[in-house]
Amino acid sequence: MSQPIIEARDLGIRFVRNRRRQLRLREMIIHRGGRQPRGDEFWPLRHVTYDLYPGEAIGVIGRNGTGKSTMLRLIAGVLIPDEGSIKVRGAVAPLLELSAGFSNDLTGRENVHLVGSLHGLTPNELKHKFDEIIAFAGDQVEKAIDTPVRHYSSGMKVRLGFSIISQLAHPILLVDEVLAVGDAEFRKKCYATMERLLAEGRTLVLVSHNESDLTRFCKRGLYLDGGLLKVDGTVTEALGAYNAAARR
Amino acid sequence: MTSSVVAVWSHRNALRLLVRRDLAVKYQQSVLGYLWSLIEPLAMGLIYWFVFGVLYDTGHHLGEASDSYPLFLITGIFAWMWTNAAISEATNALTGQARLITTMKVPREVFPLGRVIGRFAEYLAGLPILVLLAIIFGEFQLRWSMLALPLAILIQGALLIGIALLLSSLNVLLRDVERFMRLLTRVLFYATPIIYPLALVRDSSMPGWVKTLYDVNPLVGIFQLHHAVWYPAELDLRLTVISAVGSVLTLFFGWWVFRSLEPAVLKEL
Repeated sequence: MSQPIIEARDLGIRFVRNRRRQLRLREMIIHRGGRQPRGDEFWPLRHVTYDLYPGEAIGVIGRNGTGKSTMLRLIAGVLIPDEGSIKVRGAVAPLLELSAGFSNDLTGRENVHLVGSLHGLTPNELKHKFDEIIAFAGDQVEKAIDTPVRHYSSGMKVRLGFSIISQLAHPILLVDEVLAVGDAEFRKKCYATMERLLAEGRTLVLVSHNESDLTRFCKRGLYLDGGLLKVDGTVTEALGAYNAAARR
Repeated sequence: MTSSVVAVWSHRNALRLLVRRDLAVKYQQSVLGYLWSLIEPLAMGLIYWFVFGVLYDTGHHLGEASDSYPLFLITGIFAWMWTNAAISEATNALTGQARLITTMKVPREVFPLGRVIGRFAEYLAGLPILVLLAIIFGEFQLRWSMLALPLAILIQGALLIGIALLLSSLNVLLRDVERFMRLLTRVLFYATPIIYPLALVRDSSMPGWVKTLYDVNPLVGIFQLHHAVWYPAELDLRLTVISAVGSVLTLFFGWWVFRSLEPAVLKEL
Protein backbone atom coordinates (compact mmCIF):
# COMPACT_ATOMS: atom_id res chain seq x y z
CA MET A 1 0.00 0.00 0.00
CA SER A 2 1.10 3.60 -0.51
CA GLN A 3 2.18 6.00 2.19
CA PRO A 4 -0.49 6.79 4.78
CA ILE A 5 -2.11 10.19 4.33
CA ILE A 6 -2.84 10.52 8.04
CA GLU A 7 -0.50 8.98 10.57
CA ALA A 8 -1.41 9.16 14.26
CA ARG A 9 1.15 7.86 16.72
CA ASP A 10 0.28 7.52 20.38
CA LEU A 11 -1.78 10.66 20.00
CA GLY A 12 -2.95 12.37 23.14
CA ILE A 13 -4.22 15.74 24.29
CA ARG A 14 -4.75 16.92 27.82
CA PHE A 15 -7.36 19.36 29.03
CA VAL A 16 -7.62 20.92 32.43
CA ARG A 17 -10.98 21.13 34.08
CA ASN A 18 -11.68 24.32 36.00
CA ARG A 19 -8.65 26.04 34.58
CA ARG A 20 -10.29 29.33 35.45
CA ARG A 21 -10.16 28.49 39.13
CA GLN A 22 -6.63 27.21 38.90
CA LEU A 23 -5.37 30.48 37.53
CA ARG A 24 -6.58 32.64 40.38
CA LEU A 25 -3.88 35.04 41.32
CA ARG A 26 -3.88 33.99 44.95
CA GLU A 27 -3.29 30.36 44.08
CA MET A 28 -0.66 31.24 41.53
CA ILE A 29 1.29 33.12 44.15
CA ILE A 30 0.75 30.75 47.06
CA HIS A 31 1.43 27.48 45.24
CA ARG A 32 3.81 28.90 42.66
CA GLY A 33 3.43 25.82 40.49
CA GLY A 34 4.82 23.69 43.31
CA ARG A 35 1.64 21.69 43.65
CA GLN A 36 0.16 20.58 40.38
CA PRO A 37 -3.57 20.00 40.66
CA ARG A 38 -3.31 16.67 38.85
CA GLY A 39 -6.83 15.67 39.74
CA ASP A 40 -8.27 18.29 37.43
CA GLU A 41 -6.57 17.02 34.32
CA PHE A 42 -8.25 14.73 31.87
CA TRP A 43 -7.37 13.29 28.51
CA PRO A 44 -10.18 13.49 25.97
CA LEU A 45 -7.96 11.41 23.73
CA ARG A 46 -4.92 9.32 24.54
CA HIS A 47 -2.72 6.54 23.15
CA VAL A 48 -4.44 6.67 19.80
CA THR A 49 -2.50 5.14 16.93
CA TYR A 50 -3.77 4.56 13.42
CA ASP A 51 -2.86 4.97 9.77
CA LEU A 52 -5.23 6.25 7.16
CA TYR A 53 -4.50 5.64 3.50
CA PRO A 54 -5.48 7.82 0.55
CA GLY A 55 -8.96 7.08 -0.69
CA GLU A 56 -10.14 5.47 2.52
CA ALA A 57 -13.41 6.41 4.13
CA ILE A 58 -13.41 6.01 7.85
CA GLY A 59 -16.24 6.38 10.32
CA VAL A 60 -15.56 7.53 13.86
CA ILE A 61 -18.03 6.11 16.33
CA GLY A 62 -18.51 6.62 20.02
CA ARG A 63 -20.82 8.04 22.62
CA ASN A 64 -20.94 11.76 23.30
CA GLY A 65 -17.82 13.17 24.88
CA THR A 66 -15.49 10.35 23.97
CA GLY A 67 -13.09 12.38 21.87
CA LYS A 68 -14.52 12.11 18.36
CA SER A 69 -14.60 15.82 17.66
CA THR A 70 -11.28 16.30 19.42
CA MET A 71 -9.77 13.80 17.01
CA LEU A 72 -11.13 15.65 13.98
CA ARG A 73 -9.76 18.91 15.35
CA LEU A 74 -6.35 17.34 15.77
CA ILE A 75 -6.44 16.15 12.16
CA ALA A 76 -7.58 19.58 11.02
CA GLY A 77 -4.71 21.16 12.94
CA VAL A 78 -6.88 23.45 15.06
CA LEU A 79 -5.65 21.66 18.17
CA ILE A 80 -2.03 20.78 18.91
CA PRO A 81 -1.37 17.42 20.64
CA ASP A 82 0.39 17.22 24.02
CA GLU A 83 1.57 13.68 23.45
CA GLY A 84 2.56 11.67 20.40
CA SER A 85 2.23 13.05 16.93
CA ILE A 86 -0.11 13.32 14.02
CA LYS A 87 1.19 13.64 10.50
CA VAL A 88 -1.20 14.80 7.82
CA ARG A 89 0.10 14.65 4.26
CA GLY A 90 -2.19 16.90 2.33
CA ALA A 91 -4.59 19.76 2.79
CA VAL A 92 -7.69 19.23 4.88
CA ALA A 93 -11.21 20.41 4.10
CA PRO A 94 -12.92 20.46 7.49
CA LEU A 95 -16.58 20.91 8.27
CA LEU A 96 -16.34 20.89 12.04
CA GLU A 97 -19.12 23.08 13.23
CA LEU A 98 -22.63 23.90 12.21
CA SER A 99 -21.74 27.54 11.82
CA ALA A 100 -18.79 26.65 9.56
CA GLY A 101 -16.93 29.67 10.93
CA PHE A 102 -19.29 32.24 9.45
CA SER A 103 -19.31 35.72 10.94
CA ASN A 104 -22.82 36.78 11.83
CA ASP A 105 -22.30 40.40 10.81
CA LEU A 106 -21.33 39.62 7.25
CA THR A 107 -23.59 38.72 4.38
CA GLY A 108 -23.59 35.26 2.88
CA ARG A 109 -21.59 36.53 -0.06
CA GLU A 110 -18.89 38.10 2.12
CA ASN A 111 -18.75 34.97 4.25
CA VAL A 112 -18.27 32.74 1.24
CA HIS A 113 -15.32 34.87 0.21
CA LEU A 114 -13.82 35.05 3.68
CA VAL A 115 -14.30 31.41 4.66
CA GLY A 116 -13.41 30.20 1.18
CA SER A 117 -10.13 32.04 1.12
CA LEU A 118 -9.32 31.03 4.69
CA HIS A 119 -9.73 27.47 3.45
CA GLY A 120 -7.22 28.19 0.70
CA LEU A 121 -9.30 29.06 -2.36
CA THR A 122 -7.64 31.69 -4.53
CA PRO A 123 -9.65 34.77 -5.57
CA ASN A 124 -9.82 33.40 -9.08
CA GLU A 125 -11.15 30.02 -8.02
CA LEU A 126 -13.67 31.76 -5.81
CA LYS A 127 -14.90 33.84 -8.70
CA HIS A 128 -15.32 30.75 -10.86
CA LYS A 129 -16.95 28.62 -8.22
CA PHE A 130 -19.11 31.21 -6.52
CA ASP A 131 -22.23 30.55 -8.58
CA GLU A 132 -21.81 26.83 -8.15
CA ILE A 133 -21.47 27.19 -4.39
CA ILE A 134 -24.63 29.27 -4.17
CA ALA A 135 -26.57 27.02 -6.50
CA PHE A 136 -25.63 23.99 -4.46
CA ALA A 137 -26.74 25.65 -1.25
CA GLY A 138 -30.27 26.01 -2.66
CA ASP A 139 -32.85 28.68 -3.50
CA GLN A 140 -33.35 29.84 0.05
CA VAL A 141 -29.69 30.72 0.46
CA GLU A 142 -29.48 32.16 -3.02
CA LYS A 143 -32.23 34.65 -2.20
CA ALA A 144 -30.61 35.61 1.10
CA ILE A 145 -27.05 35.80 -0.17
CA ASP A 146 -26.82 39.54 0.49
CA THR A 147 -28.35 39.49 3.95
CA PRO A 148 -26.25 39.01 7.07
CA VAL A 149 -25.75 35.41 8.10
CA ARG A 150 -27.27 36.04 11.52
CA HIS A 151 -30.67 35.90 9.81
CA TYR A 152 -29.96 32.45 8.36
CA SER A 153 -31.50 29.33 9.80
CA SER A 154 -29.04 26.69 10.99
CA GLY A 155 -30.03 24.55 8.02
CA MET A 156 -29.11 27.36 5.62
CA LYS A 157 -25.73 27.82 7.28
CA VAL A 158 -24.95 24.14 7.02
CA ARG A 159 -25.95 24.14 3.36
CA LEU A 160 -23.68 27.03 2.58
CA GLY A 161 -20.87 25.64 4.70
CA PHE A 162 -21.05 22.24 3.09
CA SER A 163 -21.16 23.66 -0.40
CA ILE A 164 -17.99 25.68 0.22
CA ILE A 165 -16.19 22.64 1.63
CA SER A 166 -17.29 20.47 -1.26
CA GLN A 167 -15.70 22.91 -3.71
CA LEU A 168 -12.28 22.59 -2.13
CA ALA A 169 -9.79 20.45 -3.99
CA HIS A 170 -8.21 19.25 -0.74
CA PRO A 171 -7.54 15.50 -0.55
CA ILE A 172 -8.87 15.03 2.98
CA LEU A 173 -12.46 15.69 3.97
CA LEU A 174 -13.57 15.90 7.60
CA VAL A 175 -17.27 15.92 8.37
CA ASP A 176 -18.57 16.19 11.91
CA GLU A 177 -22.23 15.27 12.36
CA VAL A 178 -23.43 18.14 10.30
CA LEU A 179 -25.44 16.11 7.84
CA ALA A 180 -28.09 15.49 10.47
CA VAL A 181 -29.29 19.09 10.24
CA GLY A 182 -30.15 19.36 6.56
CA ASP A 183 -33.55 18.38 5.21
CA ALA A 184 -34.12 15.26 3.13
CA GLU A 185 -33.56 17.02 -0.17
CA PHE A 186 -30.25 18.51 0.93
CA ARG A 187 -29.08 15.24 2.44
CA LYS A 188 -29.63 13.60 -0.90
CA LYS A 189 -27.45 16.25 -2.52
CA CYS A 190 -24.81 15.78 0.15
CA TYR A 191 -24.77 12.03 -0.32
CA ALA A 192 -24.30 12.45 -4.06
CA THR A 193 -21.47 14.94 -3.50
CA MET A 194 -19.72 12.79 -0.97
CA GLU A 195 -19.97 9.78 -3.22
CA ARG A 196 -18.53 11.82 -6.07
CA LEU A 197 -15.67 13.07 -3.90
CA LEU A 198 -14.92 9.54 -2.71
CA ALA A 199 -14.96 8.30 -6.29
CA GLU A 200 -12.35 10.97 -7.06
CA GLY A 201 -10.12 9.29 -4.51
CA ARG A 202 -10.52 11.71 -1.61
CA THR A 203 -10.09 10.53 1.93
CA LEU A 204 -13.06 10.93 4.24
CA VAL A 205 -13.28 11.00 8.02
CA LEU A 206 -16.88 11.01 9.10
CA VAL A 207 -18.20 11.44 12.62
CA SER A 208 -21.78 10.35 12.95
CA HIS A 209 -24.32 8.61 15.12
CA ASN A 210 -26.31 7.59 12.10
CA GLU A 211 -25.66 3.95 11.30
CA SER A 212 -26.93 4.08 7.76
CA ASP A 213 -24.73 7.10 6.93
CA LEU A 214 -21.73 5.30 8.33
CA THR A 215 -22.29 2.02 6.52
CA ARG A 216 -23.14 3.87 3.34
CA PHE A 217 -19.78 5.66 3.03
CA CYS A 218 -17.30 3.96 5.29
CA LYS A 219 -15.62 0.60 5.08
CA ARG A 220 -13.47 1.17 8.10
CA GLY A 221 -14.58 2.24 11.54
CA LEU A 222 -12.89 3.52 14.65
CA TYR A 223 -14.70 3.05 17.92
CA LEU A 224 -13.64 5.44 20.66
CA ASP A 225 -14.51 5.03 24.30
CA GLY A 226 -13.25 7.18 27.14
CA GLY A 227 -10.65 8.76 24.88
CA LEU A 228 -9.13 5.42 23.94
CA LEU A 229 -9.26 3.75 20.56
CA LYS A 230 -11.09 0.52 21.36
CA VAL A 231 -11.79 -0.88 17.90
CA ASP A 232 -10.00 -0.23 14.63
CA GLY A 233 -11.63 -2.51 12.11
CA THR A 234 -14.48 -2.63 9.67
CA VAL A 235 -17.35 -0.24 10.23
CA THR A 236 -19.57 -3.17 11.18
CA GLU A 237 -17.17 -4.24 13.91
CA ALA A 238 -16.94 -0.70 15.26
CA LEU A 239 -20.71 -0.29 15.23
CA GLY A 240 -21.05 -3.67 16.91
CA ALA A 241 -18.79 -2.60 19.74
CA TYR A 242 -20.65 0.70 20.04
CA ASN A 243 -24.02 -0.98 20.19
CA ALA A 244 -22.79 -3.55 22.66
CA ALA A 245 -21.54 -0.77 24.91
CA ALA A 246 -24.78 1.14 24.55
CA ARG A 247 -26.81 -1.87 25.65
CA ARG A 248 -24.82 -2.27 28.81
CA MET B 1 10.10 31.76 12.98
CA THR B 2 10.87 31.58 9.27
CA SER B 3 8.34 28.80 8.84
CA SER B 4 5.57 30.90 10.35
CA VAL B 5 6.54 33.87 8.20
CA VAL B 6 6.23 31.63 5.15
CA ALA B 7 2.91 30.30 6.43
CA VAL B 8 1.54 33.79 6.97
CA TRP B 9 2.77 34.91 3.58
CA SER B 10 1.04 32.03 1.85
CA HIS B 11 -2.19 33.12 3.54
CA ARG B 12 -1.81 36.78 2.63
CA ASN B 13 -5.04 36.67 0.69
CA ALA B 14 -6.89 35.50 3.78
CA LEU B 15 -5.16 38.23 5.74
CA ARG B 16 -6.30 40.85 3.25
CA LEU B 17 -9.88 39.63 3.51
CA LEU B 18 -9.78 39.60 7.31
CA VAL B 19 -8.62 43.19 7.32
CA ARG B 20 -11.30 44.19 4.85
CA ARG B 21 -13.91 42.38 6.88
CA ASP B 22 -12.83 44.14 10.08
CA LEU B 23 -13.06 47.52 8.38
CA ALA B 24 -16.40 46.68 6.78
CA VAL B 25 -17.92 45.51 10.06
CA LYS B 26 -16.50 48.46 11.98
CA TYR B 27 -18.12 51.07 9.78
CA GLN B 28 -21.10 49.03 8.66
CA GLN B 29 -23.82 50.83 10.52
CA SER B 30 -22.43 54.33 10.72
CA VAL B 31 -23.34 57.08 8.30
CA LEU B 32 -19.95 58.73 8.29
CA GLY B 33 -18.16 55.42 7.86
CA TYR B 34 -14.44 55.71 7.29
CA LEU B 35 -14.51 59.40 8.15
CA TRP B 36 -14.70 58.39 11.79
CA SER B 37 -11.09 57.26 11.65
CA LEU B 38 -10.23 60.92 10.89
CA ILE B 39 -12.82 62.71 12.99
CA GLU B 40 -11.76 61.04 16.20
CA PRO B 41 -8.06 62.02 16.16
CA LEU B 42 -8.89 65.48 14.82
CA ALA B 43 -11.33 66.07 17.67
CA MET B 44 -8.76 64.82 20.16
CA GLY B 45 -6.24 67.16 18.59
CA LEU B 46 -8.64 70.05 19.00
CA ILE B 47 -9.09 69.32 22.69
CA TYR B 48 -5.37 69.07 23.38
CA TRP B 49 -4.73 72.17 21.31
CA PHE B 50 -7.21 74.08 23.44
CA VAL B 51 -5.83 72.86 26.76
CA PHE B 52 -2.12 72.74 26.04
CA GLY B 53 -1.78 75.07 23.10
CA VAL B 54 -4.09 77.89 24.10
CA LEU B 55 -4.16 77.63 27.89
CA TYR B 56 -0.65 76.38 28.65
CA ASP B 57 1.15 77.62 25.54
CA THR B 58 3.08 74.35 25.16
CA GLY B 59 3.94 75.34 21.61
CA HIS B 60 6.59 77.86 22.60
CA HIS B 61 8.83 74.97 23.71
CA LEU B 62 9.04 74.05 20.04
CA GLY B 63 11.30 77.04 19.46
CA GLU B 64 11.11 78.39 15.97
CA ALA B 65 8.22 76.06 15.15
CA SER B 66 6.09 77.37 17.97
CA ASP B 67 3.37 78.57 15.58
CA SER B 68 2.71 75.12 14.22
CA TYR B 69 1.78 73.36 17.46
CA PRO B 70 -1.45 72.01 15.93
CA LEU B 71 0.60 70.24 13.26
CA PHE B 72 2.89 68.84 15.96
CA LEU B 73 -0.15 67.58 17.86
CA ILE B 74 -1.93 65.99 14.94
CA THR B 75 1.25 64.28 13.75
CA GLY B 76 1.58 62.64 17.13
CA ILE B 77 -2.08 61.88 17.62
CA PHE B 78 -2.50 60.19 14.23
CA ALA B 79 0.43 57.91 14.98
CA TRP B 80 -0.91 57.36 18.48
CA MET B 81 -4.35 56.35 17.19
CA TRP B 82 -2.68 53.59 15.21
CA THR B 83 -0.78 52.44 18.30
CA ASN B 84 -3.70 52.64 20.66
CA ALA B 85 -6.31 51.06 18.40
CA ALA B 86 -3.95 48.31 17.27
CA ILE B 87 -3.11 47.38 20.85
CA SER B 88 -6.68 47.37 22.10
CA GLU B 89 -8.09 45.54 19.08
CA ALA B 90 -5.26 43.03 18.87
CA THR B 91 -5.80 42.09 22.50
CA ASN B 92 -9.10 40.43 21.64
CA ALA B 93 -8.08 39.31 18.17
CA LEU B 94 -8.15 35.66 19.21
CA THR B 95 -10.89 35.72 21.83
CA GLY B 96 -13.23 37.62 19.53
CA GLN B 97 -12.73 35.37 16.53
CA ALA B 98 -12.71 32.03 18.31
CA ARG B 99 -15.26 30.62 15.89
CA LEU B 100 -13.07 31.17 12.86
CA ILE B 101 -9.95 29.97 14.62
CA THR B 102 -11.45 26.74 15.88
CA THR B 103 -12.94 25.71 12.57
CA MET B 104 -10.16 26.21 10.09
CA LYS B 105 -6.49 25.73 9.73
CA VAL B 106 -4.96 29.12 9.15
CA PRO B 107 -1.73 30.25 10.73
CA ARG B 108 -3.14 31.82 13.88
CA GLU B 109 -0.72 34.74 13.60
CA VAL B 110 -2.88 36.29 10.89
CA PHE B 111 -5.55 37.32 13.39
CA PRO B 112 -3.50 39.72 15.54
CA LEU B 113 -1.51 40.71 12.48
CA GLY B 114 -4.70 41.65 10.67
CA ARG B 115 -5.69 44.03 13.46
CA VAL B 116 -2.37 45.87 13.27
CA ILE B 117 -2.62 46.15 9.51
CA GLY B 118 -6.23 47.30 9.64
CA ARG B 119 -5.39 50.18 11.95
CA PHE B 120 -2.41 50.99 9.78
CA ALA B 121 -4.75 51.39 6.82
CA GLU B 122 -6.65 53.98 8.81
CA TYR B 123 -3.42 55.74 9.63
CA LEU B 124 -2.54 55.86 5.93
CA ALA B 125 -5.96 57.34 5.21
CA GLY B 126 -5.05 60.24 7.51
CA LEU B 127 -1.72 61.04 5.88
CA PRO B 128 -3.16 63.41 3.25
CA ILE B 129 -4.65 65.49 6.08
CA LEU B 130 -1.27 65.60 7.74
CA VAL B 131 0.38 66.79 4.54
CA LEU B 132 -2.35 69.38 4.11
CA LEU B 133 -1.77 70.69 7.64
CA ALA B 134 1.98 70.80 7.02
CA ILE B 135 1.42 72.89 3.91
CA ILE B 136 -0.93 75.22 5.78
CA PHE B 137 1.61 75.71 8.56
CA GLY B 138 4.43 76.16 6.09
CA GLU B 139 6.44 73.19 7.36
CA PHE B 140 6.11 71.14 4.20
CA GLN B 141 9.51 70.91 2.57
CA LEU B 142 10.90 68.08 0.51
CA ARG B 143 14.03 67.15 2.39
CA TRP B 144 15.89 64.14 3.70
CA SER B 145 14.18 64.20 7.04
CA MET B 146 10.98 63.05 5.34
CA LEU B 147 12.54 59.61 5.15
CA ALA B 148 11.97 59.50 8.90
CA LEU B 149 8.33 58.66 8.14
CA PRO B 150 8.85 55.26 6.46
CA LEU B 151 11.46 54.46 9.10
CA ALA B 152 9.03 55.39 11.88
CA ILE B 153 6.31 53.26 10.29
CA LEU B 154 8.66 50.30 9.95
CA ILE B 155 9.82 50.40 13.57
CA GLN B 156 6.32 51.06 14.84
CA GLY B 157 4.95 48.19 12.75
CA ALA B 158 7.49 45.78 14.23
CA LEU B 159 6.71 46.94 17.75
CA LEU B 160 2.95 46.74 17.30
CA ILE B 161 3.08 43.28 15.72
CA GLY B 162 5.19 42.06 18.63
CA ILE B 163 2.79 43.55 21.16
CA ALA B 164 -0.23 42.23 19.25
CA LEU B 165 1.11 38.66 19.20
CA LEU B 166 1.99 38.83 22.86
CA LEU B 167 -1.28 40.30 24.09
CA SER B 168 -3.67 38.38 21.87
CA SER B 169 -2.37 35.02 23.07
CA LEU B 170 -2.00 36.08 26.68
CA ASN B 171 -5.52 37.49 26.77
CA VAL B 172 -7.01 34.09 25.97
CA LEU B 173 -5.56 32.64 29.14
CA LEU B 174 -5.84 35.70 31.36
CA ARG B 175 -8.71 38.01 30.57
CA ASP B 176 -7.23 40.59 32.93
CA VAL B 177 -4.87 41.59 30.14
CA GLU B 178 -7.59 43.54 28.36
CA ARG B 179 -8.38 45.72 31.37
CA PHE B 180 -4.75 46.11 32.28
CA MET B 181 -3.86 47.31 28.81
CA ARG B 182 -6.55 49.97 28.87
CA LEU B 183 -4.76 51.42 31.85
CA LEU B 184 -1.28 50.95 30.47
CA THR B 185 -2.02 52.59 27.12
CA ARG B 186 -3.23 55.64 29.00
CA VAL B 187 0.04 55.75 30.89
CA LEU B 188 1.98 55.27 27.66
CA PHE B 189 0.13 58.15 26.03
CA TYR B 190 1.56 60.56 28.56
CA ALA B 191 4.93 58.78 28.74
CA THR B 192 5.54 59.48 25.07
CA PRO B 193 6.24 62.86 23.46
CA ILE B 194 2.90 63.11 21.65
CA ILE B 195 1.27 66.26 22.92
CA TYR B 196 4.45 67.81 24.33
CA PRO B 197 7.92 68.15 22.81
CA LEU B 198 10.71 65.97 24.17
CA ALA B 199 12.63 69.08 25.20
CA LEU B 200 10.19 69.55 28.09
CA VAL B 201 11.25 66.21 29.55
CA ARG B 202 14.91 66.90 28.92
CA ASP B 203 14.74 70.27 30.68
CA SER B 204 12.61 69.04 33.56
CA SER B 205 14.00 68.59 37.03
CA MET B 206 13.34 64.85 37.11
CA PRO B 207 16.25 62.72 38.33
CA GLY B 208 18.50 61.20 35.66
CA TRP B 209 17.32 57.63 36.14
CA VAL B 210 13.72 58.65 35.43
CA LYS B 211 14.85 60.26 32.19
CA THR B 212 16.77 57.12 31.25
CA LEU B 213 13.71 55.02 32.01
CA TYR B 214 11.68 57.38 29.87
CA ASP B 215 14.04 56.93 26.90
CA VAL B 216 13.84 53.14 27.08
CA ASN B 217 10.20 53.27 25.99
CA PRO B 218 10.52 52.39 22.29
CA LEU B 219 7.56 54.66 21.50
CA VAL B 220 9.66 57.71 22.40
CA GLY B 221 12.08 57.17 19.52
CA ILE B 222 9.25 56.30 17.16
CA PHE B 223 7.32 59.47 17.92
CA GLN B 224 10.45 61.58 17.65
CA LEU B 225 10.83 60.15 14.16
CA HIS B 226 7.25 61.06 13.34
CA HIS B 227 7.88 64.61 14.50
CA ALA B 228 11.22 64.76 12.70
CA VAL B 229 9.36 64.55 9.39
CA TRP B 230 8.37 68.21 9.87
CA TYR B 231 10.88 69.24 12.54
CA PRO B 232 14.32 67.79 11.63
CA ALA B 233 15.73 69.12 14.90
CA GLU B 234 13.73 66.46 16.75
CA LEU B 235 15.76 63.68 15.13
CA ASP B 236 17.84 61.83 17.71
CA LEU B 237 19.96 58.95 16.51
CA ARG B 238 20.39 57.44 19.98
CA LEU B 239 16.63 57.29 20.56
CA THR B 240 16.07 55.85 17.10
CA VAL B 241 18.52 53.04 17.76
CA ILE B 242 16.97 52.34 21.17
CA SER B 243 13.48 52.10 19.74
CA ALA B 244 14.58 50.01 16.74
CA VAL B 245 16.34 47.50 18.99
CA GLY B 246 13.49 47.53 21.50
CA SER B 247 10.90 47.00 18.78
CA VAL B 248 12.72 44.11 17.13
CA LEU B 249 13.22 42.46 20.52
CA THR B 250 9.52 42.92 21.28
CA LEU B 251 8.67 41.39 17.91
CA PHE B 252 10.76 38.28 18.58
CA PHE B 253 9.55 38.00 22.14
CA GLY B 254 5.91 38.37 21.10
CA TRP B 255 6.33 35.75 18.40
CA TRP B 256 8.01 33.37 20.80
CA VAL B 257 5.28 33.78 23.42
CA PHE B 258 2.61 33.32 20.77
CA ARG B 259 4.21 30.10 19.55
CA SER B 260 4.65 28.64 23.00
CA LEU B 261 1.14 29.54 24.17
CA GLU B 262 -0.52 28.35 20.97
CA PRO B 263 -1.42 24.79 22.12
CA ALA B 264 -2.96 26.09 25.34
CA VAL B 265 -4.72 28.92 23.53
CA LEU B 266 -6.36 26.56 21.04
CA LYS B 267 -7.72 24.38 23.84
CA GLU B 268 -9.12 27.38 25.61
CA LEU B 269 -10.94 28.98 22.67
